Amino acid sequence: MPAVQETIDQVRQIDVDQYKYGFETTVEMEKAPKGLSEDIIRFISAKKNEPDWMLEWRLGAYRRWLTLEEPAWARVNYPKIDFNDLYYYAAPKNQSGPMSIDDVDPEIIKTYEKLGIPLREQEILAGVQKSKVAVDAVFDSVSVVTTFKEELKKAGVIFMSISEAIREHPDLVKKYLGTVVPTTDNFYATLNSAVFTDGSFVFVPKGVRCPMELSTYFRINERDTGQFERTLIIAEEGAYVSYLEGCTAPQRDENQLHAAVVELVALDDAEIKYSTVQNWYPGDKDGKGGIYNFVTKRGDCRGKNSKISWTQVETGSAITWKYPSCILRGDNSRGEFYSIAVSNGHQQVDSGTKMIHLGKNTSSRIISKGIAAGVSQNTYRGQVSTHRKAENARNFTQCDSLLIGDRCGAHTVPYIEAKNSTSHFEHEATTSKISEDQLFYCLQRGIPEEAAIALIVNGFVKEVIQELPMEFAVEAQKLISISLEGSVG
Amino acid sequence: MNIQAGFKPTAAEAALVEAYDKQLGDLPGDGATLAARDALLSDLKTAGLPTRRIEAWHYTDLKSLLRAVPAYRDEMTASRVDPIVPGSTVLSVTNGKANLRSLQDGISVRSYADALLDGSAAERLSERDRDDAIGQINGSFVRDGLSIEFADGLEVETPIEIQSVQNCGQVSTRFPVRFGAGAKATVIERHLAVGDEAALVTSVSDVRLDDGAEITWIIFQSQGEADTHLAQFKASLGANANLRLYVINGGGKLVRQEIHVAVAGEGSNLTLRGINLLGGESHTDVTFTVGHNVPHTTSSEVIRNVVFDRAKGVFQGQIRVAPDAQKTDAKMSCNTLLLSDDADFSAKPELEIFADDVQCGHGATVIDINHTQLFYLMARGIPENKARAMLVNAFVAEIVEELEDEALVESLEGVITDWLDRHA
Repeated sequence: MPAVQETIDQVRQIDVDQYKYGFETTVEMEKAPKGLSEDIIRFISAKKNEPDWMLEWRLGAYRRWLTLEEPAWARVNYPKIDFNDLYYYAAPKNQSGPMSIDDVDPEIIKTYEKLGIPLREQEILAGVQKSKVAVDAVFDSVSVVTTFKEELKKAGVIFMSISEAIREHPDLVKKYLGTVVPTTDNFYATLNSAVFTDGSFVFVPKGVRCPMELSTYFRINERDTGQFERTLIIAEEGAYVSYLEGCTAPQRDENQLHAAVVELVALDDAEIKYSTVQNWYPGDKDGKGGIYNFVTKRGDCRGKNSKISWTQVETGSAITWKYPSCILRGDNSRGEFYSIAVSNGHQQVDSGTKMIHLGKNTSSRIISKGIAAGVSQNTYRGQVSTHRKAENARNFTQCDSLLIGDRCGAHTVPYIEAKNSTSHFEHEATTSKISEDQLFYCLQRGIPEEAAIALIVNGFVKEVIQELPMEFAVEAQKLISISLEGSVG
Repeated sequence: MNIQAGFKPTAAEAALVEAYDKQLGDLPGDGATLAARDALLSDLKTAGLPTRRIEAWHYTDLKSLLRAVPAYRDEMTASRVDPIVPGSTVLSVTNGKANLRSLQDGISVRSYADALLDGSAAERLSERDRDDAIGQINGSFVRDGLSIEFADGLEVETPIEIQSVQNCGQVSTRFPVRFGAGAKATVIERHLAVGDEAALVTSVSDVRLDDGAEITWIIFQSQGEADTHLAQFKASLGANANLRLYVINGGGKLVRQEIHVAVAGEGSNLTLRGINLLGGESHTDVTFTVGHNVPHTTSSEVIRNVVFDRAKGVFQGQIRVAPDAQKTDAKMSCNTLLLSDDADFSAKPELEIFADDVQCGHGATVIDINHTQLFYLMARGIPENKARAMLVNAFVAEIVEELEDEALVESLEGVITDWLDRHA
């Protein structure tokens, strides 16, 4: 593992309680008035030049939302959110949608450069990165630029912001939007349906293997705003796409809300691989500030032999409430979930997955690694269920938790529901601390304690890291050791 | 006493309230006891029975599952049956009435009705946990039971069978049992039905093990096919105490067996073994929580379920490790054989851990009979149904064999084989 040495260096360099992406960008913003009402939704819809059906869809969701109650079942505590004290739309002035890179505010380009996301295609090609990755950069409520669109278009792949897609490919959006996560799904998903401002749209037509990795980089910048993005990915028969998502936010004392919805649709023989490195600002060492991350992610293996795989590295956010799920509808379809959730300081994580087996011979695999340090609470919550007709459903689940320090908590709450005799479920979970033997072994060989812990933790999460695309794996490994900074002693 | 405006009770909820009003005149208890009963029932009136929205009742929506409440029938009689383990000392409770007898020196047995009458039971009656519907119903209606105390250091060789025999109607019993320091005993808590008509049985066992007590407690439930059985076993373990708890369910239409153990003394250990034999149209829920509240304690839980026909089984198990309860070692596993396509099993094994220097784990599996094993037996000329029966038997008997006492193992294996013969 070459990344290990790098990890150790990283650990040395950075002081305790430091969030690398906590800077703020000064750029003139245009915002909708604070608060949430039908007028605000009309405003957002008008800003985006949306067709009438979209506005109606949003208003329907909003009316539904007014009747819903905030869920309270997760193991997270936070003061009540005043949904009327937020800005639901904030966009850099003169930028109401993606444009050519030359027209984008240089401050914003600089921001992404600082984050390590090159937006200029020629720079990318200049050889810094080995493989090409197309990026959709979302800054607060708008997508600012999408790279490699033309090249992707040649292959038949549509990759653009969802606002553009609503205008340019209304039929496709109408056909799929809300079919995996309906507007009535849950409190936050319904809110998102009413007020979502941007996100990515990917359509990979029949038989096409997407020629490069696609990715979206979400950045919250403005104060008092909520970010509500919506992502829709469709892989037609036999298509393949790998999609990466990254997120950061400035360091602030207040809490900010991020409520996203991601919908994946895989038709016959299609495969979607969705990877996330979530690194929203987690708050400071006293638990002040940080992002509330309330996300609904769901994939629908609609066709036969389809496959959806979720990989997530969760290191940021003050509160994470997130359950990327797979509905295994098509016969022989497969769902996978690989997760690393690291919590430190006062972070609270309640995350896991759902594998709903509906088709015959469907299989799923869940590998979840939770690492809790500081005074954080880390919960795995997952559901595996079979329908009566889902013959030969198979599931394997493994969730391991590692505790670092005696003031944190690790919890496992799996729901296992079998409804026919041919289903075969296996579930195992363990919770322990870093083995003293392993630590002693490293210390004895002259590896300092903090580096030794990073080494052992890297070993603990290796199974999941291996599932990440190369570019992300290295970054994720670094992130994990940074998140655990200061957890020793 | 009217039901609150705005709350529409189900038939069963209304029947419970009505039954309470009807029985109020002759429920035993002094002022304090009656006040405690009233408080418990008034909660039922305002909130109703728990639904699946209450996390602790996620898989057993009592509000919709409890359809009717049979009326209390004082005139019915039942008589005691032979104990499971031949030669056991039997303490019987027939149709909810304790039949007192004196036992050897060092064991004191009182009727629980006395404790209700003199008010000494009131305090414990009103203590209840969150979402504790069983405690609530039982506390409102309980009429009798047995209060048993084992003296410090007492070692009892012969098993003691607490036998609760029910013949239709309604019954609520309580069994507060205290084992003195260093006491050793085997207790069998047995619930069975003799009538054909439906019964509603609620029972709460409230057990305390003082320091160093070593107890084997076996719950065997074989209610009738139409019966509702709502039971609770609560225990707290003193330092170096050792509780070996076996729970065998083999009857009833709607069963909820709760087990709540507080491992509260250093060096104490809980061993839980559960066997659920489920068939017919029954719904059986075993809900278990163990709290490791102090450092250096251990627990191990193994639950084996066999589900036939259209039965539905539920296991919810939670291991909770309190902050500072370092060096806890807790392991839980739940294995299920699902033998029919109409059967259904849900498991929720939870870990809730607030201390870092611990070893905790759980495993859960749901499978059908292993076809290789089946083939092996059939290749040796054993007919399929017999081969299946052997494998199912082996799957559950394994657990019983952990009890070293031969008479006990033999008796329990007999009970299991009987059940499987009738269902497989």
